[in-house]
Amino acid sequence: MSDLDLSKELSEYTKNLNKASKDPNINRAITRAVKAYRDTVETTMERHPHTPELAEEVRQIKEYSMKNNKELLERAMKSIEKNMGKAFYAKDKAEALRITNEIVGTGKTVVKGKSMLGEELQLRHSLEESGNEVWETDLGEFILQLKNDRPMHILSPAIHVPREQVAEIFTEFFKKEIPPDIAQEVAVVRDFLREKYFTADVGISGANVVAADTGQITIIENEGNVRLCTGAPPVHIALVGIEKLVPSFLDSMKVAEVTWRYAQYASPSYVNIISGPSKTGDIEKVTTYGAHGPKEFYVIFVDNGRTEMLNDPTCCRALDCLRCGGCMYECPVFQVTAGHYGRTYLSGIGSVWTSFVEGGVEEAAPMLYTCLRCGRCVERCPMKIDVPTMVGELRSKLVSD
Amino acid sequence: MATKKKKLPPVFEILRDNIVEHSNPLALNAKELSSWAKGLDLPAKGQTLYYTGGEYQLLPYIDSLVKTLTYVDPASNIFSWLMEARKIVNMTGINAEKIYASILAKDKERYFSINYQAATILKSLGYDLCYDGKNEIYSGALLYELGFWKDLKEYAKRVAKSIEMTEAKTIVCLSPHAADMFKNVYPTLVDFPEVEVKTFIEMVWEKRDLLPQIDYDKPVVIHDSCRMARELGISEEIRDILTSVGVSYIEPIRNKVWTTCCGGPSKMLFPEISKTVAERRINELSDTGSKKALISCPYCLSALQSGIAKDNDFVLDDIVEFLYRGYKA
Ligand code: SF4
Repeated sequence: MSDLDLSKELSEYTKNLNKASKDPNINRAITRAVKAYRDTVETTMERHPHTPELAEEVRQIKEYSMKNNKELLERAMKSIEKNMGKAFYAKDKAEALRITNEIVGTGKTVVKGKSMLGEELQLRHSLEESGNEVWETDLGEFILQLKNDRPMHILSPAIHVPREQVAEIFTEFFKKEIPPDIAQEVAVVRDFLREKYFTADVGISGANVVAADTGQITIIENEGNVRLCTGAPPVHIALVGIEKLVPSFLDSMKVAEVTWRYAQYASPSYVNIISGPSKTGDIEKVTTYGAHGPKEFYVIFVDNGRTEMLNDPTCCRALDCLRCGGCMYECPVFQVTAGHYGRTYLSGIGSVWTSFVEGGVEEAAPMLYTCLRCGRCVERCPMKIDVPTMVGELRSKLVSD
Repeated sequence: MATKKKKLPPVFEILRDNIVEHSNPLALNAKELSSWAKGLDLPAKGQTLYYTGGEYQLLPYIDSLVKTLTYVDPASNIFSWLMEARKIVNMTGINAEKIYASILAKDKERYFSINYQAATILKSLGYDLCYDGKNEIYSGALLYELGFWKDLKEYAKRVAKSIEMTEAKTIVCLSPHAADMFKNVYPTLVDFPEVEVKTFIEMVWEKRDLLPQIDYDKPVVIHDSCRMARELGISEEIRDILTSVGVSYIEPIRNKVWTTCCGGPSKMLFPEISKTVAERRINELSDTGSKKALISCPYCLSALQSGIAKDNDFVLDDIVEFLYRGYKA
């Protein structure tokens, strides 16, 4: 095992952070995004004033769910099998990729919805290495796929790419002139991906929450790409972190509402609820699978460090994170550097997650020390995750080992 | 599993060693740090302990250290020489102050005298203060921040002893960071003396009716410190104090528990990011139209100062300096 020279790591990382903080594209994009986020959340909360109270209830649901995670996992897996789906448990990244690759095989076309877990597992990369053609269908992620770049915000992955740059990337890829006009940029991707959805062999998604009692997974989205990804191809695979489990369907709806509200939506355009493969009994009441939607439905529950996080008395509550992204808009460092302050998981909460799921405190070290521990994220967070205290603990773990 | 060997940035080790060995992050000596108290004749023992933690006194030195970190290539000899300052202190007995030589006398004078002004204000409000300059040691906040919690546990015992020696029942902290350590951190780590911990702001707030009026006819803008507003829950008190002394104030776009960080915490490791964060906060403050911001934390004061461009006439006053105007008039 190689030694850690934090000095050297910090030096490279700092150069990158400094560069990002002077990048006018990042600056312009984030300034706009922060303002829009704050304004929308404020009006959304006025329209739906019960949200903070519901968030408090969700905090309790999450606390209970994490304490009973093992049991919920067993129940959810049974429920999914009862629904004629197939459920798997992957203890780490390698296992999750192995299971997914075995289902997908090789030489297939795969359409994929946005998933942080997918990023954590570097799923697209792995499927491509196995000889598959993989398309990101979230517009932001599609742009990044073409740009060979990584997400700079968990909800708006291409937050740092202005329309002019998108036009350049598309012009090169589609081999025709695409003007820096957002409507036209959206249209060209829509046409291109439409064909992919209906010829793809496999659709892959994440999930925002899973109900253990019914085995139903819920995916929140606005673009409609997840509907198509999970509805059109004959096979649907959902990869889900074990922290997404809650006891009941009703609980899962509460989690979903709080998630989208803090992600600045009064209501998202689509909430997908999926319990099993597509089926019909219309001819002679004989249940037949794969009517219009997928014939096969797989759910892979991934641990990859989450149980370790759960066993940490201070950091366990980081598993409550709904990935609403609110804290990032309020983080003074994120506001000037975007996702350069992070790897897969970004900003303060990201440094806690990185410490458990992406290589330990050593890997997270530069991020852990970037946190100002100013605590404004806690004010924003619907789950009141005490990131500054967790960061303090992890720094101590890092320097004292 | 074999644990990795870790090499920490030199600034970590320097700060840690200085605190552990010299009870001060920059190895400044107690005589120098307490020099501001000359003439006040505060007793070393009493009910109400005035605690500076040497924090305002550190600021001019930290700035020069940061300049060194920012402008000197870490690979150069001069950098390692400066980083080895502590060793030089040990070897030659030269004051650390002489090593951090590029300090502007004006800055030093300003930051040191804030301690004097705050003590004078509290005395005028009728508080009997004691101050043990010879034995007062740094709060240890940086050990906590950097993650040296093992050292912190040991250090906490020394802090506790230095407080016990004064026989105080109440500690008045000038810095919200020290107050946070005494109130929220130490009690979770060690057996810490059961003293009441208060900030300068709270003490003044309780007797705000006795403050002299301040002749300042333009509105000031308030910058809430993160620790003060969020950890200690103090923000309305500052507004009440200003109302009491007849000064109007404006709120910036982000304030109270939503206040924006000054960038100070990353000054040592990420000086450029720290400066950018400070500049943005200065913009938020000056966008109110006010020309003067009031600050109630030494680190905010120092960090935000570096966010003001040379040709900008926006001014920062520590709230202590601002209230002291009433005494000079
Ligand atoms: S830490 Fe809180 S605010 Fe940040 S993404 Fe998670 S739930 Fe949202």
